[in-house]
Amino acid sequence: MTEAIQNVSHPQIEVENLNLWYGEKQALDNISMRIPKNSVTALIGPSGCGKSTFIRCLNRMNDLVKNCRIEGKVSIEGNNLYGKGVDVVDLRKHVGMVFQKANPFPMSIYDNIAYGPRLHGVSKKDMDGVVESALRSAAIWNEISDRLESSALALSGGQQQRLCIARTLAVKPEIILFDEPCSALDPISTSKIEELIVNLKNKYTIVIVTHNMQQAARISDYTAFFLMGRLIEFGKTKQVFQNPREKSTEDYITGRFG
Amino acid sequence: MFNRNYKEKTIESVLFSVSVLTVVILFLICLFLFRDSLLLFKETSLLDFLTGKFWYPTSVNRQFGLLPLLLGSLIVTAGAIIFAVPLGIASAIYISEIAPPKVAEALKPFIEILAGIPSVVFGFFGLVILVPIVKDLFNLPTGQTALTGSIMLGIMSLPTIITISEDAISSVPSTIKHGSLALGATRWQTIYKVIVPAALSGISAAVMLGIGRAIGETMTLMMVTGNTAVIPSFPEGILDPVRTMTATIALEMGEVPQGSAHFHALFAVGTVLFIITFLINLIADLIKKRYRFKVD
Repeated sequence: MTEAIQNVSHPQIEVENLNLWYGEKQALDNISMRIPKNSVTALIGPSGCGKSTFIRCLNRMNDLVKNCRIEGKVSIEGNNLYGKGVDVVDLRKHVGMVFQKANPFPMSIYDNIAYGPRLHGVSKKDMDGVVESALRSAAIWNEISDRLESSALALSGGQQQRLCIARTLAVKPEIILFDEPCSALDPISTSKIEELIVNLKNKYTIVIVTHNMQQAARISDYTAFFLMGRLIEFGKTKQVFQNPREKSTEDYITGRFG
Repeated sequence: MFNRNYKEKTIESVLFSVSVLTVVILFLICLFLFRDSLLLFKETSLLDFLTGKFWYPTSVNRQFGLLPLLLGSLIVTAGAIIFAVPLGIASAIYISEIAPPKVAEALKPFIEILAGIPSVVFGFFGLVILVPIVKDLFNLPTGQTALTGSIMLGIMSLPTIITISEDAISSVPSTIKHGSLALGATRWQTIYKVIVPAALSGISAAVMLGIGRAIGETMTLMMVTGNTAVIPSFPEGILDPVRTMTATIALEMGEVPQGSAHFHALFAVGTVLFIITFLINLIADLIKKRYRFKVD
């Protein structure tokens, strides 16, 4: 494990000896990782390596999976997510998530964005401002500002995904998790979202699962390579890609398997 | 080769004839229903039939007024829907979203059994159990009231409403549910702000089909509503005996001389009933087509 990362003085997310089982099958094996603030961390690895499972531990979405058992510690700003009396609903306000497939609600564009803020008590008179600033931050305002009342389902796939990012931003999280956000998008939409993620890094801590190695190399500051439920290598992206420490990382990156 | 083709063609044409037969039967039913109904209007005008306040089919000054029967059907159905819709939707939400899978799997067969009970058995249950309860509870001369009919009909239309609503709710993609939870919504907020609105057209179709089931019901109502053909007052008329269109046809058809005005009047009542259920099914179908999800 890379010393420099282990010694991040104030990690925002700190994972210690995390183990996860789906029934009898162990999906995560003793993961420890410290993710620094205001950075983009990419999780890479072949299908079924546990990267998506891992990211879902960070906002406790695995709670929805039956027979899922978790041991170990995940702390955000020093608070253990799996400790006693943790309010999962409150946690998810602070840790937003964008999914693989764009999942806009079947309502208007405006209502999609206002959904989260309404839940968390933003008043009606402040709502227009919240919606506009979320859409602007997600770089979609100029395309749709004239049709906020039309259905979100009428947008293109790339627009829907940026809408989902805007919806997440509207709740004002500190951390945003992206679970393969571009896997269903064309190259132009993908580059728009990549650009957006790089810009968001100034304000948010970003963790992104991706199958696309170039994407990880382009946008991330840190890269973690997962294989069969284990964290094989974690370091600065440059180092992982140019000078991987482990043989299997190199094999994966150079396309020898995966 | 030729032989096999021949066989295929034979099977296809047999299946084709069978499906066409259904349509032909439907048209024949319509034809006879309409023809016999129209003969009534030699005796009474259409307006008198539709707006007549009295159903005196056998007195000397006989009158064939539809209103008491139509309103009887409507008040009983409305009462049934008022109580079956909230119960049905609540059960559907519980089964599809809240209940642990094992509980849901255990509940579903019971709902199906409820749907399979013959209506005469429901009527018997209503007559023996519910009628005395209603009588005592409201201190009435008789417990055979519109309310009693409404409660029985409500129970009978519950399976329709529950199964179709549950289907609509379960067909809301789980990605949408996860999206809501990931924004910090509670399970209940997710259900009533995202899932139920997304399933609303399917739920409305369920309600329409529930109404369709209720308005055509005959036997149970005949046994528990008292069968008095007077216009029910509103709202206290819910505690009076009423007579529905269906019960009227069932009760009187056996005793009328074929070809008489009374005979034709019963056919006309049947036509009205047919048109109402046809419209309800049509609306339900239109709503249902809209709810197929566009997300995928």
